[in-house]
Amino acid sequence: MAQLDDVLPLTNTVFHMLVALADSPRHGYAVAQDVEELSDGRMVLGPGTLYGSLVRMQEQGLIQEAKNPGDEGLHAGRRRYYRITPLGTEALRLESARLLKTATVAQRRLEG
Amino acid sequence: MDSKQDLGRRLYRALLRCYPRDFRDRHEADLLQAFDDRSTEPRFSGIGGRVRLAGWLTKDLMRSVPLLHRPFTRPGGGMMGELVQDLRYGVRMLVKNPLFTAAAVVTLALGIGMNATVFSAVRGLLLEPLPGVQDPERLIQMYRVWGGLDFGSNSVPHYQDVRDRTGDAFESVAAWTFSPVALAEGETTERLVGMMVSANFFQTYGARPALGRAFIPGEEDEGPGAHARAILGHSFWRTRFGGDPQIIGRTVTLNGHPFEVVGVAPRDFKGPVSFADVPIYVPIMMAREVAPCCAHLDSRGNNTFNVVARLRDGIAEERAQEAMDALLVQLREEYPDHYDRQLGTRIIPQSEAGFHPSLAQASMGMSAVIMTVVALLLLIACVNVANLFLARARDRRQEMALRLSLGAGRGRVVRQLLTESLLFALVAAVAAVAMAAVATRALGAVQMPIDGPWDMTVDVDGTVLLFTGVISIAAGVLFGMAPALQATRPETMSTVKGGGGGVGRSRMSSALVVAQVALSLMLLVGSGLFLRSLQGASQIDPGFDEPRNLVTAALDPSLQGYEDEEVWVLLDRLVADLRALPGVSEAGMVSWLPLGLNNSDRGIEIPGYTFAEDERRSINYTQATEGYFEAMGVDFLEGRGFARSDDADGKPVIVVNRVFAERYWPGESALGKVVQTAGDREVVGVVEDGKYGSLGEAPTPFMFLPSRQVGPSQATLVARTRSNPGEVLGQLRGLVRSVDPNLPLFDVRTMEDHMGIALLPARIGGSVLGLFGILGMLLAAVGIYGVMAYSVSQRRRELGIRVALGARRNDVIRMVVGQGIRLSVLGTILGLASAALLGRLVEGLLYNVSGLDPVAFTVVPALLIGVAALAVYLPARRAAGGDPLEALRSE
Repeated sequence: MAQLDDVLPLTNTVFHMLVALADSPRHGYAVAQDVEELSDGRMVLGPGTLYGSLVRMQEQGLIQEAKNPGDEGLHAGRRRYYRITPLGTEALRLESARLLKTATVAQRRLEG
Repeated sequence: MDSKQDLGRRLYRALLRCYPRDFRDRHEADLLQAFDDRSTEPRFSGIGGRVRLAGWLTKDLMRSVPLLHRPFTRPGGGMMGELVQDLRYGVRMLVKNPLFTAAAVVTLALGIGMNATVFSAVRGLLLEPLPGVQDPERLIQMYRVWGGLDFGSNSVPHYQDVRDRTGDAFESVAAWTFSPVALAEGETTERLVGMMVSANFFQTYGARPALGRAFIPGEEDEGPGAHARAILGHSFWRTRFGGDPQIIGRTVTLNGHPFEVVGVAPRDFKGPVSFADVPIYVPIMMAREVAPCCAHLDSRGNNTFNVVARLRDGIAEERAQEAMDALLVQLREEYPDHYDRQLGTRIIPQSEAGFHPSLAQASMGMSAVIMTVVALLLLIACVNVANLFLARARDRRQEMALRLSLGAGRGRVVRQLLTESLLFALVAAVAAVAMAAVATRALGAVQMPIDGPWDMTVDVDGTVLLFTGVISIAAGVLFGMAPALQATRPETMSTVKGGGGGVGRSRMSSALVVAQVALSLMLLVGSGLFLRSLQGASQIDPGFDEPRNLVTAALDPSLQGYEDEEVWVLLDRLVADLRALPGVSEAGMVSWLPLGLNNSDRGIEIPGYTFAEDERRSINYTQATEGYFEAMGVDFLEGRGFARSDDADGKPVIVVNRVFAERYWPGESALGKVVQTAGDREVVGVVEDGKYGSLGEAPTPFMFLPSRQVGPSQATLVARTRSNPGEVLGQLRGLVRSVDPNLPLFDVRTMEDHMGIALLPARIGGSVLGLFGILGMLLAAVGIYGVMAYSVSQRRRELGIRVALGARRNDVIRMVVGQGIRLSVLGTILGLASAALLGRLVEGLLYNVSGLDPVAFTVVPALLIGVAALAVYLPARRAAGGDPLEALRSE
């Protein structure tokens, strides 16, 4: 299991995927759909990229597999679900704070 | 889902194989589910959508496959993980530096390939049981033992007695011998070496004909001359008759006699000798038609046949030996004249007997030498490659040091380097197998200078592949170990800081120089010995003059129905015509030429001489006419050669050689003495010793009987030409044709060509080892240069300092060259010592050359030290000639 220092800063893909998992467990396809929505359709995660990243993120301890929280959609029983770990939450919190800080400065300077 | 979608999904599923296995095992279903999910989305529907989907998935694969193949950076991936990592890294190293890879792989492939080739040849020709034979381990060959003769052949009556009286021990007993025949079919006549076999020959070997039938015991072994039938060898049937299935019942003409083809031998059975592929078999009972020299089927003294027997189930060799001993006792009682002097019978497993047991030792010896030589070549190749790796290891020292300092265990780094070298070795092994396949095919196409159905074809089969794999791995470990250990020595740590090597950095390369020189020397001295042996063999005095200007041809008038007096009329006319040719100075006749494959012996008694118990009483002989000794140019010590008057009406005479005379009448003149063989014969001449059976033989007693008194069983014309032997050969054919156009003429050639047979062992040894020697010399030169250049380049910094401190360049060069030569001399001493051992071992295989031949043992080391000196001088001059500051900065 990696330390926070090893995973920060998060890549764009990992950041978006963590955001997608931040409030509740989801299956892979749902993560991809959420990421696409978050990025206004700019990030369409292919299957390999999606599951490759999920594997990596598990290796790093950012997420873990979870039970189906009660979805009943298409093939819901067969899908793998993932949820964010405390390390993932912490990493996401620090990363979003950093981005927010930078973004705030940027906006202030652009306005100023 | 329509079929198109189905196809796309199948394609995607196939492409998933690009991912690492563990990932695929875990997520294949997820990935396919994702494919299905996406397929239903509107943007990926329709033709345009499908194309978009394909493009998107391709991009995804290209991005994610390399990502997933990169090893995870978690600590400890287990042995397999590490191995995969090392292999991946090794492949990258192979591809990254193609020149290095090519040099290492080619060198190794040469070394491994030659070993694989020699291994296939030795195994296929000497060690493997005969192909196409049923239960080959139950076949034995038997030889008659006489005083001084360990492996005597068998006569037909003797064979028949063995066959009929040893049924308790043997299932069946067969006989065979090679026999030249002229096969005429339509317009063309060709000379073949076929085989005369007993009727139960195929049954004894357990070889079922592919077509037609085998000879039938009880039919084709009865009635001499009654059953003109032949069985074709499988490949001869295919090449000469196009594999015609209608061949059975066709007639072929052998030596002018029609023979009916009754069968075709099975495809995998090529005859009783592993390196021959017999084209045609005829029954022994047809000997008179096929090979008049061996036509005396009822003569117990005519020992020309090999006898092979199949042991009965559960009968051990000892039991068979007892049966043969008992038979000999019986035969002695029945035919005391013929068996009194036979000491016993020797039984040898067929696989060990091969062509003839007397040759087995020499051929095994020669094979051992060649295998040793190629093993040495491989070792030299390994040293060369080790050196290449060592040089590269220097370039990678920083990388290794970094790995070690980052906590990689030494074992781990060694393992990585070994994996790399094994990978190289395996790539080389693939190239080597390809090389062996080509080389063994070339071996199959080799033309032997002796007439015969020779077939050296061997297969590169599973065992050869296994052998190649094993030696490749051994080679990989061998050349990988030294650089790996060197690269990970503790002092490597200082390299991290960018410094040079450390103390003792050149010990490894010094050892390599010494090893390289020693190995090369052994190899080159060995090759040198065999080249000297070839030279020695051609310098051996065969006992006659200039073989190049001797023209010979064999004929047998009895083949064409000539009888007694007519034979002499014909032969005398031919010899007279020959003598009348302007290009011919002298001509005569002889029954068998010396140094051929034929030899005959007959028992003798010498009045006043008592033979020791185990002393050989039979002496090799030939029959000659007047003019023979003169044409050959044989020197007389005393007395005369044969005269025209030494005929049936004259006094029985004999000519003997020097050893013969000295053995039986030591210190006396042999002239006028009596030899009892075919009557009481008076010695009329003593000739200088010659070589009769082989060039390597020790001086051996020999005798000449006058043809006109004992009959010309087979005649070989011999003519001494003044200048152009080729022209005389043509005229000779013309002469024979003008006398009788149907008279078959064999072996029309110069004595020099005839002697190709005698020189064959020396030629094979000389040319094979000469070739290996040249290869070895090249490898060694490159290797020594590489090792020297590397060890000098390692010292550039030190040499630079010396020059900077005021040392003169010439002194520096002298110092470096001196050190290099010291190493070469050390290697030379080691190499000479090993070569001397080797030389002693191979002495028996050399002609006229000692195992410690002074020429080979001085010229080769001098040459090698010269090469080594040059190899160290060139880099030394470069190192000393450069800018010292440059050298100091360079590392």
